Amino acid sequence: MRVWDARLLQDNLPAGKQRTEHIYDYAGSEENRKQINKHFDRLQTRLILGLILGFLLPNALLSAYFHFQFTHTLKNSAILSLEAVADNQKNALDLYLRERIANIYNLFRSPDFTLHPPQEVMEGYLRTLRHYHDGFVDVGFLDPQGVQTGYAGPTPELLGSDYSDEPWFQRLMQGNKNHVISDSHPGVRDTEYFTVAVRQIFFDKVYVLRATLDPDKLYMLLRSTVQGSNVESALINAQGQYQVVDPKISFISKSSAFIPPPESPDQSVGIHELDIDDIPTLVAYAWLTETPWALLVSQPLSVAQAGMYRARLILTISLLCISLVISGVIFYTIRRLINDARRMTTKGQQLQEMLAHASKLASIGELAAGVAHEINNPLAIIMATSGVIRDMLNPEFELDHSPEAINKELAVIDSAATRAKGITKKLQEMGKTRMPQAEPCDINVQVETVLNRLKKVELRGKSIDIQLHLAPNLPPILAEPEPLRQVFNNILLNAADAIDDKGTITISTGVRENAVAITISDTGRGIAPENLERIFHPFFTTKGGHHGTGLGLSIAASIVKYLGGVIKVNSTVGKGSAFTVLLPNNYYCPLT
Amino acid sequence: MEKQTKFKILLVDDEEIFREATARQLRVRGFTVLTADSGETALDLVRTDPPEVVLLDQEMPGMHGSDTFIAIKEIDPLIEVIMLTGNTSVENALELMKLGTFDYLMKPVNIDELLYKVEDAHARKQLNERKQQRDSNSRPDKDSLP
Repeated sequence: MRVWDARLLQDNLPAGKQRTEHIYDYAGSEENRKQINKHFDRLQTRLILGLILGFLLPNALLSAYFHFQFTHTLKNSAILSLEAVADNQKNALDLYLRERIANIYNLFRSPDFTLHPPQEVMEGYLRTLRHYHDGFVDVGFLDPQGVQTGYAGPTPELLGSDYSDEPWFQRLMQGNKNHVISDSHPGVRDTEYFTVAVRQIFFDKVYVLRATLDPDKLYMLLRSTVQGSNVESALINAQGQYQVVDPKISFISKSSAFIPPPESPDQSVGIHELDIDDIPTLVAYAWLTETPWALLVSQPLSVAQAGMYRARLILTISLLCISLVISGVIFYTIRRLINDARRMTTKGQQLQEMLAHASKLASIGELAAGVAHEINNPLAIIMATSGVIRDMLNPEFELDHSPEAINKELAVIDSAATRAKGITKKLQEMGKTRMPQAEPCDINVQVETVLNRLKKVELRGKSIDIQLHLAPNLPPILAEPEPLRQVFNNILLNAADAIDDKGTITISTGVRENAVAITISDTGRGIAPENLERIFHPFFTTKGGHHGTGLGLSIAASIVKYLGGVIKVNSTVGKGSAFTVLLPNNYYCPLT
Repeated sequence: MEKQTKFKILLVDDEEIFREATARQLRVRGFTVLTADSGETALDLVRTDPPEVVLLDQEMPGMHGSDTFIAIKEIDPLIEVIMLTGNTSVENALELMKLGTFDYLMKPVNIDELLYKVEDAHARKQLNERKQQRDSNSRPDKDSLP
């Protein structure tokens, strides 16, 4: 069993300019080029979208992660910064209050201290206090009953006032501390003051020195220690009432919207985020040591995190710009690559078409050589027979030159000329220079068309059983229908000739390795191994006499070769032959 | 007119009509013509009825012309062989001339040209025969040597 492959035929591929131009007119190539363009357009869109998404998606996720971390860090930084401001201010206030208490306490230690201080001593006390701090408004001395027995200050009528019912006095008497700072109160003068009172025991009796402090001085202190923009500070008591605050705020409200949690040993400083007048605001608090007041330091979130917002804006704009630049680069690069690939594929397609055309021309050349040799035989007969006639007409040879004898020789010449004509007719079929009209062909339809034609003429009256096994949904083959039908026609005729009395021809189609396979097998005589190599050579025939020209299979092989396909033959003498035509799927179908 | 019998020619060609027409032309010109349709038949005739000159077709089914030529020369080296070729086998015919064919003729064959070559071939054969005869006469007899 041997296999013949049409590709084994040697190709001589000189392609002239005219031939190249001819290929440009090839109808099928235009169709293929459209398919190639469509395919590359789709590929370009997919690649660009895929790469841009492939880059932007992880980039967006990474950016989101870093953005979250960055925001978190900056927010913490703003919180810590505000807490530090609150802590610093709280320490400054505590120091201030301790100094004021110490100022009053020192009066008990002054050399002119007496349990019944006269007016000039009280005036001296006030001068001493103001020497230390100009926020002192007045000073008073209270006897163990809470009655003010000595006074110096702007309100002399306070001399003799009973403070025993004042909350601060009761707190001082009942508490375990020797000093007390009252909440802001109007007292008997209808002006807001703080009272700082210090108690001392003399002869088992409690005596008190009290002084009032101007809240404005405390407010100025708060203002002077504020750090950062848009930072507001205020002092509130445990009930949330403002003690020292910006006058604008106290005018609007007497109480703070925010009351910090009660002081605990491990939590005297903290921070909260809340809306004040619908503005998200950070509020840090710190409980004072010397009095149950809390210091509140507030800053709008937009101001506290302004740096973060700015950084985020820069980061976002940068990322957008980078993404746009990279998308542009991807788009440009992919487009360029795809265009290059498109050009190369189109060139490859053209080259393939040129090769196929050149291959056909080479086959024609091969055929022409065979024709020249084969035509020489009838020409030799014609020449020899005409020589015989000349001899007959030559009196020297004394031959029979009757019209009958000459006609007999002329008949030989006619017969040889007819034989030569048969060859040239076949040659014309191969050499016809017509414009190819390639179109996507359904192989099954072409096979059935040929079969129907043969059944009417060549196969008529023969005892041949035809069996068809046609596979559905075959990919189309881009070819001229008539030459394609000629391939099947010639192989089928050969199969029919191989069957002597009766037999079977089986035609099956299918797809094999990206090619359409058409197998025509017969139960005929089979082909002898020594002939198997020559059956596709022009003018090779085993049919004998003038029955076959020896061109049928040669023409079929040339056409199949032109289409880039192969013909494979399996044959066993006495059992039959199987011709398999493999036609590559040349109708460009992009990968899905 | 009385025909003068000339020498014997063997014409070997598978194409019967050509073979017989050419043979008839040669016969009327006084040659004795033997014909063969294959190399094998030709060799039989060379052995049984050796010709002076052989006209041998190069492209034949079965035994090829070149193989037939070599076999003829093995049987009788003095027989002159003229190859009949087509256009495509000229190169092969030229190669065979290096091996000892007298000449080649391209088909279709002009009878005058054929006669001219055949006569020349025959003349060379006679020359070679005389030369061989002379050589064999001048060669000392082994038995007569002292």
